[in-house]
Parts: sequence; structure tokens; C-alpha cells
Amino acid sequence: MKLNQILPHGNVRRHIFKTTVAAAIVFAPLMLAPSPASAETRGYVISWFATATNNPDFVQNCPKAAGDLHRLKFGAAANGQLQNGNTGDRDHALVNGKPVPPLDYPDAVVKDPNQETVVGKYAYGFDLGGPAANKFIDPETHEKVDDQLWRAIGCANNFQQTPPSMPYTEGLGWNALIDSAPGWAMQITGTDLSKDGPVTVTLDRTMRHLDRDALGAVRSNDSYVLDPDPRSHNVLSGEIRDGVLTIKPAYIYIESTMPFYSQIDLKDAHMRIRSAAGGKLLGYWGGYTDWHKWAYMYSSRPANSDPVGYYRALEKLADADPDPVTGRNRLISTTWRMEAVPAFLAAADGKILAVASSAGLGGRVHALDVAENRASSEPSTGTKSAQ
Amino acid sequence: MRAECRRGLATVIAGILPILAAAASPSALAAPAGAAPAGAAAASARGTANSEEMSTALLMSPSQYRLTIADVFGDSIKVNGRFEPDQREQGLLAIGARTDNISDNSLESYADLASDIAAQVVDARHREELIGCQPRSENGRDDDCARVFFARVGPLLYRQPLTVDQVQAQVTAAGIAADKLHDFYGGISDTLAEMLISPRFLFRYKIMEPDPQHPGRERMNAYAKATELSYFLWNTTPDEKLLQAAASGEIQTRAGLERQVDRLISSERIQDGIRAFFADMLGFADFAAVSKDPSFFPLFVPSIKDEAQEQTLRTIVDHIVNRHGDYRDLFTTPHTFLTDDLATLYDVPLVDMSDNGQPQPWLAYTYPPGDSHAGILSEASFTTLWSPSGRTSPTVRGKALRENILCEKVPPPPGNVSFKFVEDTGNPQYRTTRARLMAHRTEPLCAGCHKLTDPIGLALEDFDAAGEYRTTENGVPIDASGELNGKQFVGAIGLGEAVHDDPAATNCVAQKAFAFETGYIPPRDDPRWREIQQRFAGSHYQVLELLRAIALSDLSYAAPAEGGALAAANH
Repeated sequence: MKLNQILPHGNVRRHIFKTTVAAAIVFAPLMLAPSPASAETRGYVISWFATATNNPDFVQNCPKAAGDLHRLKFGAAANGQLQNGNTGDRDHALVNGKPVPPLDYPDAVVKDPNQETVVGKYAYGFDLGGPAANKFIDPETHEKVDDQLWRAIGCANNFQQTPPSMPYTEGLGWNALIDSAPGWAMQITGTDLSKDGPVTVTLDRTMRHLDRDALGAVRSNDSYVLDPDPRSHNVLSGEIRDGVLTIKPAYIYIESTMPFYSQIDLKDAHMRIRSAAGGKLLGYWGGYTDWHKWAYMYSSRPANSDPVGYYRALEKLADADPDPVTGRNRLISTTWRMEAVPAFLAAADGKILAVASSAGLGGRVHALDVAENRASSEPSTGTKSAQ
Repeated sequence: MRAECRRGLATVIAGILPILAAAASPSALAAPAGAAPAGAAAASARGTANSEEMSTALLMSPSQYRLTIADVFGDSIKVNGRFEPDQREQGLLAIGARTDNISDNSLESYADLASDIAAQVVDARHREELIGCQPRSENGRDDDCARVFFARVGPLLYRQPLTVDQVQAQVTAAGIAADKLHDFYGGISDTLAEMLISPRFLFRYKIMEPDPQHPGRERMNAYAKATELSYFLWNTTPDEKLLQAAASGEIQTRAGLERQVDRLISSERIQDGIRAFFADMLGFADFAAVSKDPSFFPLFVPSIKDEAQEQTLRTIVDHIVNRHGDYRDLFTTPHTFLTDDLATLYDVPLVDMSDNGQPQPWLAYTYPPGDSHAGILSEASFTTLWSPSGRTSPTVRGKALRENILCEKVPPPPGNVSFKFVEDTGNPQYRTTRARLMAHRTEPLCAGCHKLTDPIGLALEDFDAAGEYRTTENGVPIDASGELNGKQFVGAIGLGEAVHDDPAATNCVAQKAFAFETGYIPPRDDPRWREIQQRFAGSHYQVLELLRAIALSDLSYAAPAEGGALAAANH
């Protein structure tokens, strides 16, 4: 997939980014302004967000790992050695002949860990137009899926989690994020959100961090003021059809904070979101993301993971945006699973932009999701077993 | 040595216990004139008794204790510890306080609090400011410096001047302890701790004396009057001006009393008195036992318990003090204050611009027309306090309203009553609380009392046990129709209007305010009580005018037998 055919690159991309920022500043009041009086806007905050996993098929996905309880090449005990650069002859990293910490220089590790990659058939996501050989099948939609990131890391211990549990490292980061850093807000605007039809999806950061309920989950019906900073402001066109919200492919950028992702940077972004009990949302975002940035989150917090193995697998399986000099792909297809809870959203001047609603989108609550939604309302510690 | 002091303290406490009980009992009221005052005698381990007659006593409430300590020693002295639950009588802790007895556990709690407070007063951070002098040596007694301290603090703690001998008794005790401990501040601390468990500190006494204006009659002693007034209006110990008014006799004149009452009411500290009264009237002490099942009510975060009480108290203070509103409008007012937590529970937007990590600010909020909330009965302080942890109880809510708001007695359930219908929330035949209660009321044994309570509580069924608005229960639409004394209505809005229009509501708050000051239910036929009621009505039911009328009435300072029925006698 030649992503540079659909997305700007290099200087052109930076120019467009600057132009977008400038336009956002100039037009920010207009962008924050409510839609026409006849429209309805519902507010949400993202309450669960992590790499989409699909572990019911673990044995089919990862036959080697399924037969090897000690499959993690760079286990937790090895991480200390890795960080000190003391990895022995087999796994040491060299730069100009000098040993360096493998986690800081994963591309300089002499021996590729060659971690097992997913060979199974199913993964959640979207058809991004990638090569047929790479395709998974979505268990829900039965459509083709590009998700090379899942193929790269899906056999690692860290990702043997099923919602409501998050991949271990992401769960740690997420729980730190929601207690300390601004949240992510979503507005859905349409003429009548109880019916199918065109909608506008708007993404922003909130000024404050999210609040938790008595069970430790992100609290519904809370009120948040949106950050007027245009960098995380995204306006997306979409539609609700048969109770499922999708968007026209677009570019999504949201600032975040380490130890979670430092940003969500998704090219050719797709969404598939449905409403569940209590007005909550549940769905997937997919597209192409910078695999270096993704890998950095793991190498910066290597607990219970194999960052070098991830790095090398991602590097090999990246499937978009070739570097004009090296020819290596800089982006990788991926899918994030997300949930959102209803929230009141306000502009910095106090004007209410979106209301919390327990009603379903398109008037349809997907009964199959109720059980999962209820389970996901529990805190995500990354340690729970499958529901 | 400290262990010896502690044992000595325990001996004093043990000696005080039976005397405290006697002081708080009706029999103590009949003590002959000139007899040694029971409570003072209890504190006379070092000769602090006086010869005034002790008529009755009221135990200081936890909030009064906290405010008193803050006023005497400053806000930086913390009251770290717990108080034993108070006794509620006739719907008020303030009445229970005068019939209360101090249990062994409670006295131990007071002793622990006292030791901790006294230690803080003499610690390195506070001693220079609070002791008021520098001892010649920190390793032993310094009677002059100790005298400076006790001469200043003693009258504040006991709310009246101390004689030279009384001060000397404290100085002597502190000196003995200091010598044994080789620690001047230790001696001060131990003696102060004993003062803080003295009945003269823990109890307010209604001390009567012959009335020189009306030979043959009695009046309340000026210091007791100042104390009663201060705890009634400010919920704390008398300030310097009030003690001066007592010392000069000004408070015993009509004009002098009016000056002091107006001064106290016009002060911001009137809010403390209003808060204490309504917290007592509305039963907020029972919040200590409130819990909700988070699996059913995830929005009921732990802070909601405190915030629900604070919301209602802020609403009341704002209505009474700032808006000079009609008391009856408290049940219908759309004006309130919310935190982020409460706004989330009530499902309303609240724009909070404070930074991360800052305490949630209280923001004024007005329910829009058509909202399901209005008035204090729709607030979480009522709907959550009077509900079990996992379900609502219209019976409990109705009973609370009858007893706390309308001063009407609801008989307790008979011992052999069956709750099989109301407690079986899984019965598919009765999917709503209303249906279960209707089934329960088919038992003749239950029907009589439930007629009093359920039609009130059922109007609040659209608020679940955690105070969150709901429209269905088990998938069945909720019927929130109700009835109060023949008036039909729907929902909390309708209930608030019905209470607003019920004359029992204004009579009740007046009666409870009087009892909050005096510890007595007022005698209905006394013309002075009728005058208080008339003044309240004439002010369009402004609570500040009610408080003023009570504070100025002779009835409030009359001897107990004259002023009202003893709570104990009403049982």
C-alpha cells in the first residue's frame, strides 16, 4: 500500500499541519460552535483504549507460543540486563562496535529475537487496501482486515489479554493517564441521533483528567471542558447505519501523555462504533500509525514485554509509508479498541456543547454488547482473565 | 511518670462517671438551692466547685466540641479522633444531649481527644503563642507562667470567670505534674487534658438564680444565658463580647440581650448555628452508617456522603441568610450548589474550570424549569440517607419526612411483622417497590402505619437509593404519585409543594429550633411560645426571625419545669 498516495509526507505534510493549525486557531470558535439548531450533539469521553486483541484464537494464532510456556525471549528478568547493555554474546547491541543498551538501540541488537508472529485468521479492524497476503478477517463484520501490528505482537505475553483487560503495559499507562492527564472527548452531532443518518464526529482533549466511579471505571455523566488547543481537535464526517457509526477515512491526531501513547497519530483512520447499554459506546479505530512511536511506549516501560522483539517484528511487518531514502515502511496498519461513556462537554467559556445521553445511537442497542459493556465498566488492571 | 499520670486520670474519670450520670438525669434538676452543683463537684478533684445551683446539663455535640476547641486554641489545633454516637430523642440530638449519659467508651474517647489536644497546645509549634509566657525552666514547675495560661484559658473552657482559688488549683496540679515529669509543658498538658474532660467543659449547665426583678422567681445565670445563646446561634463557646455582656449584666436586660442577639445573628458565624441546627433536624449524623452497593450505584463515590450533606446545608444557609427566603420555599427552591460528583449523580452539566488535583469547587446551580429536582427533599441528602444500601424504601423516606420535617410520630413496626413482600426484590410478580409495598399493605397488621409513610415516600421513587434519577425499575415505568394529608401529587416537585403548603412544616421547624436551644419541647399553651410562632409567621417564615424570637424569649431561659416538658418525661 502506497500510503504516500493518500497522505501528505515530509515538508508537504508539515506545511499542511501548520496550515491546519493556523486555520484551527482562526476558526476555532466556529469549530467549537454548536451545529445548526436542529442538530443534536451527544458527548462522550473515551473510557477504554488499547490495542485491539483477539485471543480466543490464541492456539491458531501462535502455535509455537501455545506449546511453549517459556516463550518470552526477553522476559522480565532479562530486562535489567538489557537496560544495562549487559546481555551476553547472544543479544547485545552494538553501535560503531561499542555495546549500547538494547532498549535504547533496538535496531542495533545484533541478533533478531525473531519473535513469533500471528498466523491466525481473525483480527479486528478495517480493510485499508493492503496486500491480500496480509489480510485477516474481522470476527464481527467478516470483512477483510489490515492489522500488521497485531500480526507482529499478537503472540507476546503482554497481549494475551481480552477486554475488559488491556494489554499489560497499555493498561498500566492508561490507568496512570486517566488519573493524571487530560482525557479524550468525542462529540457526535446529527439531526436525530436516534435514527440512521449522516453525523459529524469531533474529537478533542479535555482540560481535566477523567473521574472514576465507585467501581474504579471512568464515570458516566461527568462534565468536562474541552481544551481549545487545536492540535487535538479533529472533525470527521461519518454516518450511522443500522446503529453502527462509521467515518469517512481521515487523519486523526490527539495529544496524549506518557506512560501511555504520547499521541494517537492515525492516518487513513477508520471507525466502527456501536452503542451499548447505558448510552456507552464500544468500537474500533483503525488505520496506519508510526510504528516507531508505538514501539517507544513499550521500550520506555519494558515490564513484562520484549521491546526488542516487538521492534524487530514491527519493522519487518510495517506496511505503509516507505521512507524515500531507505525504502523501509514507517507506518503500520493497526486497530485500537475503544469504549466511551456519556459526558457533558463544554467550551472554555462554559457553553455546553454536548449533552450526556443514555440513549443508543440509531435507536439500536446491540444486545450482544451488553455483557461485554458491563464487564468493561470494571477497572482495567490488565490482570483480569477473559470475561 | 506519664503512666502514673494516666492512671491518675483514669481514677478521676472513674469518679466522674456516676456524677455525670446524676447531673444529666432529671433527678439532678431537683437539687435544692444552694446544694453543691453535681457537675462541678465532679470536676472538683482539685477544688473547682462553686456553690451555684445546677439545674440541668447538655452534653456538647461533636460539632460544638470542634468549634469550641478551634475558638479557644485556634484552627491549627486539630481534633483528631472519633466521638461516640449521640442519642437522638424526639427527633433531635440536642434533646438527647440533655438526657444523655456518658458511657465508659465515650469518656475514654473524650480522654483521648483531650490528651491529644493538650499535647498539641504545648508542642513546639504552638507553645509560644498559646502558653503566653516563657517558663524559667522547661524542666520543672513555673507557677507564674502556668497561672498566666490557666487564668486565660480557664474562663474560655468553662465559659465563666474562675476564682483565684480555681485558677490556683490548676496551677498547683500543673506544678505537681511538672515536677514529677521534669517537664513544665508536660505539667501544663496533663492538667489541660483533665480540664478538657471536666463536666464543666463537656456540659452546658442551665444554672438558675433568684431574679432580682421578680422576687420569688428564678432566672438563668448570665453566663449560662450567654453560653446557651452562643451555642444556639453560633454553635460554639461565647466570644469575649458575650462574656463581657454576661459579666456586666447587660445580657440580663431586654435591650442588652437584643444587642447581643442582633450581633450574633448579623455575624457570618450564624451560618455555623444554622448548619448545626438543620444537620440535627435532618438527621445527618446517621450518614455515618450510610453505604451503597457500588455494583448497583457506581456513581455513588465515597465523597458523595459528605457532599450530599454539604449541598443541603449550603442550600439552606443561602436560602435563609443570603436570600432571606421563606422557610417553606426550601422544599421547592430550584437554587442549590453542586460539585462535580453531585452533578454527575444528578445527570446535569457543571462547568468546572479548576485545575487538576484541586478540591472540587462548589458551584451555584439552578435547576431549570421542568427538572425533576427542586427543594431539599429531592437532594441526595434525603434520598440516600433514608434508603437501604441496595434499594429504596418509601416507608423509611416517608417516616423520615413525617418525623423530621412535620414532627409527626410514626409508630414502630410490630415485632411479628413479615417483610417477605418488601424484601423480595426478585419476585417477578412484584417488580417495583410500589407493587411490593401494595402487597405488604394487604396485611392488616401493616396497613395502618404504612398509610402514614408510603404515600409520601412513593413520590420519591424516581430517585434510586443513591439519589440518581430513574424512570424505570426492573424495566417497569415508575409511578411517582403520592399523597400527603389528603393532597395528591406526583414526584419530588409535587411532594415539595405539598410540604410547603402544610402548616405542620413551619410549626415543626419552630418547635425543633426551640428544642435545639433549650433541650425541651416547648409548651404549646404557653403564651410566650405562641408569641414566638406569631413572630415567625409575621416574618413570612424567615428562619432568622424565628431564631431571633427564640433567643429573645424569656421562655428559652426559663427553669426547665416552666420552660417545657422534659424529653425523658415524654417517653
